[in-house]
Amino acid sequence: MILYTIMPEHLIFPAASDEYAKQKIVYYDGIPFLARETETKEWEIVRNLSTNPADFLNQKYAPGARISMPQATS
Amino acid sequence: MEKEQYIEFESEQQEEKKEKVTENIQQLGQTNVPQMTQDTNIHCLTIVGQIEGHIQLPPQNKATKYEHVIPQIVAIEQNPSIEGLLVILNTVGGDVEAGLAIAEMLASLSKPTVSIVLGGGHSIGVPIAVSCNYSFITETATMTIHPIRLTGLVIGVPQTFEYLDKMQERVVRFVTKHSKISEEKFKELMFSKGNLTRDIGTNVVGPDAVRYGLIDEVGGVAQAMKKLRELIEWKKDEGKMLQ
Repeated sequence: MILYTIMPEHLIFPAASDEYAKQKIVYYDGIPFLARETETKEWEIVRNLSTNPADFLNQKYAPGARISMPQATS
Repeated sequence: MEKEQYIEFESEQQEEKKEKVTENIQQLGQTNVPQMTQDTNIHCLTIVGQIEGHIQLPPQNKATKYEHVIPQIVAIEQNPSIEGLLVILNTVGGDVEAGLAIAEMLASLSKPTVSIVLGGGHSIGVPIAVSCNYSFITETATMTIHPIRLTGLVIGVPQTFEYLDKMQERVVRFVTKHSKISEEKFKELMFSKGNLTRDIGTNVVGPDAVRYGLIDEVGGVAQAMKKLRELIEWKKDEGKMLQ
């Protein structure tokens, strides 16, 4: 079936509510990150949300890096 | 005796450090290069993906959340070591209220701001691009100007139309106030036919955006940084003159 519509996809096929819980904004070393919980219960960086360009030069804060015990917010 | 213990402890620490480095090399095939530690005086705010407002988008969407961006702008305003802000836009647009909120925050920032549109600054990305003190667009970047749309159920038709019209008026007023484009021209682009597939509006490419007066200059990151430094210097000089 092909559905032609101007409606955004997420309004027609809503994501399961547990999908939302997987990602969180966390502060690690004082830098905000969007992090995702992996299957092994570790936290993996999805996006670096800092405005300081110097924070992007550090390998430690690159997407895909694992971070330990983040202080979960939001 | 105490000294000996101390030395022992220190050498242990060094060994540990060494091990860590070798571990890094083994795991990733690379070791960290020493990083710059000094604080940069220019911060950069990236507006990417969709602009998320009152409705939370599913996690697979790339989104810029206004509840996250606004406190960042406040923090930039407050931090005395930050002297300028570079706003990088590559957005498809999104929530009108959220987009206008970010644009208003950037426009009212007391520090020099320069925006640069890379790839695309569509829809509600337009007011954000023009909100800065000076705006740049890359040669190949585009901006889609179109009327406000509503995706969802509409109940009271005349009321809804009036509400949307008012909302659109806010966008038009903001853009014309913060850029050199005239209201007439902006509306002409917004309502022109035949440019977009089954929709009204115009897709404006880099040099055209400058020609219409929407954006100040065509350029990349080098020009943007140069302009931002100029604005910072200018602001410093102005402060001296006042004293």
